[in-house]
Amino acid sequence: MKLGVFLMGAGHHIAAWRNPETPADAYEDIDFYIHVAQTAERGKLDLLFVSDALSLTPLSHPSELVRFEPTTLISALAVATRKIGLAATVSTTYNEPYHVARKFASIDHLSKGRAAWNIVTSYYEEEAANFGKERHPEHSERYKKADEFVEVVQKLWNSWEEDALVRDKEKGIYFDPAKLHAINHRGKYFQVKGPLNASRPVQGQPVLIQAGSSHDGMKFAGKYAEIVFTAQQKLEDAQKFYREIKTLAKQHGRAEDDLHVMPGVAPIIGKNREDALARYERLQALIPADIGLAFLSDYLGGIDFSKFDLDGPLPERIPETNGNQSRRALIIELARREKLTIRQLYQRIAGARGHRMIFGSPEEIADQLEDWFRQRAADGYNLMFPYFPGLLEEFVDKVIPILQSRGLFRTAYTGSTLREHLRLKVPSARKPVLR
Amino acid sequence: MGSAKPIKLGAWIHGVGAGWEDWRHPDALTDASTNVHFYKKQAQIAEAAKFDFVFIADSMYIDKNSSPHYLNRFEPLTILSAIAAVTKHVGLVATATVTYSEPFNLARQLASLDHISKGRAGWNVVTSWLSGTAENFSRREHLNHDTRYRLAQEFLDVVKGLWDSYEDDAFIVDKANGRFLDPSKLHELNHKGEFLSVKGPLNIARSPQGHPVIFQAGASENGRNFAARNAEAIFVHYSSLEENRAYYSDVKRRAVQFGRSEDEIFILPGISPIVGRTQEEAEAKYRQKLSLVSVEKAVVALSRPFDHYDFTKHNLDDPFPDLGELGYHSHRSSAEKIKEMARKENLTLREVALRHATPRGDFVGTAEEVADRIQEAVEKRAADGFIVGESLPGELENFTKQVVPILRERGLFREEYEHDTFRGNLGLKKPVNRYTAQLTV
Repeated sequence: MKLGVFLMGAGHHIAAWRNPETPADAYEDIDFYIHVAQTAERGKLDLLFVSDALSLTPLSHPSELVRFEPTTLISALAVATRKIGLAATVSTTYNEPYHVARKFASIDHLSKGRAAWNIVTSYYEEEAANFGKERHPEHSERYKKADEFVEVVQKLWNSWEEDALVRDKEKGIYFDPAKLHAINHRGKYFQVKGPLNASRPVQGQPVLIQAGSSHDGMKFAGKYAEIVFTAQQKLEDAQKFYREIKTLAKQHGRAEDDLHVMPGVAPIIGKNREDALARYERLQALIPADIGLAFLSDYLGGIDFSKFDLDGPLPERIPETNGNQSRRALIIELARREKLTIRQLYQRIAGARGHRMIFGSPEEIADQLEDWFRQRAADGYNLMFPYFPGLLEEFVDKVIPILQSRGLFRTAYTGSTLREHLRLKVPSARKPVLR
Repeated sequence: MGSAKPIKLGAWIHGVGAGWEDWRHPDALTDASTNVHFYKKQAQIAEAAKFDFVFIADSMYIDKNSSPHYLNRFEPLTILSAIAAVTKHVGLVATATVTYSEPFNLARQLASLDHISKGRAGWNVVTSWLSGTAENFSRREHLNHDTRYRLAQEFLDVVKGLWDSYEDDAFIVDKANGRFLDPSKLHELNHKGEFLSVKGPLNIARSPQGHPVIFQAGASENGRNFAARNAEAIFVHYSSLEENRAYYSDVKRRAVQFGRSEDEIFILPGISPIVGRTQEEAEAKYRQKLSLVSVEKAVVALSRPFDHYDFTKHNLDDPFPDLGELGYHSHRSSAEKIKEMARKENLTLREVALRHATPRGDFVGTAEEVADRIQEAVEKRAADGFIVGESLPGELENFTKQVVPILRERGLFREEYEHDTFRGNLGLKKPVNRYTAQLTV
């Protein structure tokens, strides 16, 4: 089973900062992040993951109001840890491939092979205005650009062959020029000459992660992703997604194990299920209504809830979104299936943003994680703790040992790089991962 | 003691070194440019010596003729973020270009480094001019000189505006009442200018020092004006006492014309000192550095200021040939300097080529002599301090152990850090948030 921790300052729950044991300024406190990272490493987890966005409003989730920029954050975490993987989100819509290739190659070198890039196309429409654009590109356009962007980045990572650096002092040969290549890319969106001014990453290529469950997103994942994050509420849906994405990968000539599906899950541990639920309710009670509604509205095409009864159902007509399409669909489905009022829905979403929540004793949590894993709905999980550090510490102290005793999870890191932890192949220069 | 103000010192961490052959030194770590332990160690040496900052240069275009360090090195913001996590006091100055970056992204990354380091970030503002760089960023046209500086000014203004997005007391963080933010203290920038259109706000608040410290390195007319208007620290090449005095007074004068105080702008020449227990030992170290250089490559490099004259037709151990007017049109001052040096010191072609490839500089000698030079430059208003590059493996540490104590004895350099932030240690005021300033007017 693969396990990653999704870092988010005080926690994923919108009111995490109000939790008594959590420092309210966790979102900008590097020492807090280091403590969380080291706790995850103590638990032998595969990786840490940092998400991102390039815009905010006053009603944004606190973790989106103030946040470290992901690549600088994981660079700092790289020297505070030794083994755990480090994944950062960077958008292809508002960036340059050369910058992205450089940063991740740099992090891979400084972390000795633990870097991963979560590729996003930016789903907040407001981001466009921060980059001088009149409008945010529409969904399929963003994915076309992303496709070329990743192609360029991979070519740049491949500019240096494995044994290009000779470094023979006596002969005075620093490198073999025949093993350094300009990429001379000329495409629809980018023209990039190269070579990259960073030698071949330790892992060959940093690990690629993707998290879009739309049609375009899944196609993209099938082609490039080595980890796929996804939001899945129900076992059957998760299994279907798992089958589809593995099939898409195979259509690109990849093996099943070249791609790991890791749904998000928020584990709330208690003495038993009731106790866990009660803990959660205490957090839920801390959500201010205006924040919760704004949060929900954002996923639902910007709908104005002031016209509706909060203790009644969602309206029939919900605007489309150019943003996160799969999440919108999932949230509407959830509300209808469980007959949630608007208030109940925002409380649910503010907690785990449409990801699955699991409650119970440590044994029960382990059971639920094992269940989806055994039933081919997941290769592992992206853990989204409602608040830090407490819930992560409990997970590491109580749930990990159970998973270990069941032979489901490692008892020690056997490798040093993220690829080794995830048992992913190392792309070579002669057989680069270029499609 | 001449200068009342303490000298500023920075350490330039430059991987395997600036030259094409520095890596061949027996003690050189050949992978220094991508070796995190090397960078950590250098930063810790600088911090132990109470240096104001470490500095990382950058560029983004290479080809097969690039020097080893240029070919393969850390990206500045990632390595400095790593160094931030293992240091406590030393400033962290990253070079980043305005020409091929988005201001929103760069503002964020610098502010993030500033938070990770708890107020120790600095930004060396450059306007990439290497034509090859454009080809890595899907651009065909290279902006001309004037345009680049207009863009740089607008870019810097946007970044500073974004840094001020949150006023310093925007965060209420009242757990009991559930109020995290006072939205009236969050501001959109709404910039629309000649080159850039950025709405904001930035999704990160100000650090304890307010803004990263602004560095710049302009020698041209536009560059000097830009530096004089905006920079808090200016990096310049050290050529001679006289030339640097002229530069110093020119830039300070311009700064005053732009309404700034002389004291809020520091001019910091870059030097690569070589220190020995005796003058002979220092010279021997310099000769060792020279011996690393392949004379064939040095002769090729020498041709550049002389209109690509082919020196290979001359005997290397003959006196430097008489070239008449050659070099007059291309690199006049370089060519003249070289000819002058050859004449004065009776140098052979080999000696001239090696010296040109590996300049000696004025800071080679005993610790006392180097300290004297430093003191003289500051007292004579040629510098407010220096950025110290490592000329040979171990020379940075050598400098901190031999020269810095002398500077301290003479009351010229700090015993301990005075402040928690980079700005504080430089003696610079924390910038007032522009939105807060508007209210108090």
